[in-house]
Amino acid sequence: MRRGLLFLLFAAAQAAQAFTDAEIRAVASHGPWPPAFKPDPSNRVSGNKQAIELGERLFFERRLSVNGEHSCSRCHLPERNWTDGEARARALALVDRNTPSLANVRLQRWFGWDGAHDSLWSQSMRPILDARELGSSAAQVAKLVREDADLTCRYRKVFGAPLPDDEKVLVDVAKALAAFQETLMSGRTAFDEFRDALVKGDKAGIAKYPEPARQGLRIFIGKGSCNTCHVGPAFTNGEFHDTGIPFFVEPGRVDPGRHEGIKKLLASRYNLLGQYSDDPQRSGAIGTKHVVLEHRNFGEFKTPSLRNLALTAPYMHNGRLATLRDVVNHYSNISPDRLHSDGEAILKPLKLTEQETRDLVAFLESLQDGGGNYRRKAFAGDCR
Amino acid sequence: MIRGLALALAAAGAAQACELPGGPAQKLESAAHTVVYRTQPLRVGEHFAVDFAVCPAPEAVKVDAWMPDHRHGMNYKPTIAELGGGRYRAEGLMFHMAGRWEFAFEVRAGGKTERLAHSVRLE
Repeated sequence: MRRGLLFLLFAAAQAAQAFTDAEIRAVASHGPWPPAFKPDPSNRVSGNKQAIELGERLFFERRLSVNGEHSCSRCHLPERNWTDGEARARALALVDRNTPSLANVRLQRWFGWDGAHDSLWSQSMRPILDARELGSSAAQVAKLVREDADLTCRYRKVFGAPLPDDEKVLVDVAKALAAFQETLMSGRTAFDEFRDALVKGDKAGIAKYPEPARQGLRIFIGKGSCNTCHVGPAFTNGEFHDTGIPFFVEPGRVDPGRHEGIKKLLASRYNLLGQYSDDPQRSGAIGTKHVVLEHRNFGEFKTPSLRNLALTAPYMHNGRLATLRDVVNHYSNISPDRLHSDGEAILKPLKLTEQETRDLVAFLESLQDGGGNYRRKAFAGDCR
Repeated sequence: MIRGLALALAAAGAAQACELPGGPAQKLESAAHTVVYRTQPLRVGEHFAVDFAVCPAPEAVKVDAWMPDHRHGMNYKPTIAELGGGRYRAEGLMFHMAGRWEFAFEVRAGGKTERLAHSVRLE
């Protein structure tokens, strides 16, 4: 027993020594987790319990779609970390992009792969109205809320007023949906335990982190420079990059990514500078006010969070890469010729060995919380 | 977090009182101008503002930043509000990646533009 303990302490000491002060600072920057809740100032029902309940009900509501067959949960499945396991999403029709996870979505600045939306509530309207997804309209959504007694009752309890015009009802529905999605946070992971132990100098805690994950983490913050873009507790800078993934959707048609996203954002009457923001100071609109459109934005897509990554295959904006190993191999062997000549000079082939590839995958897998914590509530239709 | 701060200045000179009330500030000097500035805390992927003074007061001033090693600038164009007395506030800046950034003030006066810059490394 004592010999085992001594061995554990020795191993922990060795492991602690393995990280330099700079490496410890880099690891520490990816926590703590989870972050505290901050309500969205542009959404007056952000954090409101009744709004969350209404939003949850609406999230699974198929009558929001034009044919009554699809809901948000058609593509955002709780058991798949709020994705669908498909390369490209499909509801009424096949769309161009991979379904992004909703876990930790409230931490984002821009929403969607192209960042065409600057709030979670604005983003939540897009699939409702998109002809390939729910194919609905403000009129249909408002009609549903007006004619379903339970939804009418819940709407009034949350928003405290008689139902306004159709578009306003649609925006409010989106704000309730956003309030629900703000609650979808991933849990603590093996990495978080290691990170906290490292910060505290808890050698026994440090020693519990598997050696392959530890070595992969060193690659992540060192040779791989993955933390250039995958920064902070959510492992994303929330911005957009060309990662050498072909952006042809089909022969003769490309996905312009962020370039089109900025255009849509600035043209949208639902952006944070518009009339539907509930923040009179427009404090969250600083990005929308200052974002600039550049040619290099063509083919750029948002840096995704890496938390619960192992649950969200396939990967990249179009689901082109099937496994985590494929993703690591992509960055290991990337051809600079596939990147924009006038774009960022960030990526170069990492040329990882087989062992380094396995270790980096092991680290990425250590960002998984186990998943499946969400339990859908049963709703009684007794709102009065 | 700022790990290092290196000043890249054109030349010393223009030694005149140029102050920015409100706490410690950094100073950049060229032959013709002095810029005194203070940033909000710099963190990767977070917007920040810069308060600064330019002496003598210029005809125009711009603030911009660039990652020389990555060959790109910011994703945002800052707006500058003139506060009077040669003082300004630039908002909307963001360093969206870790690494070395070159942070620059372009000062225009007398038909000439001067660039006062420094390097900042973000972890």
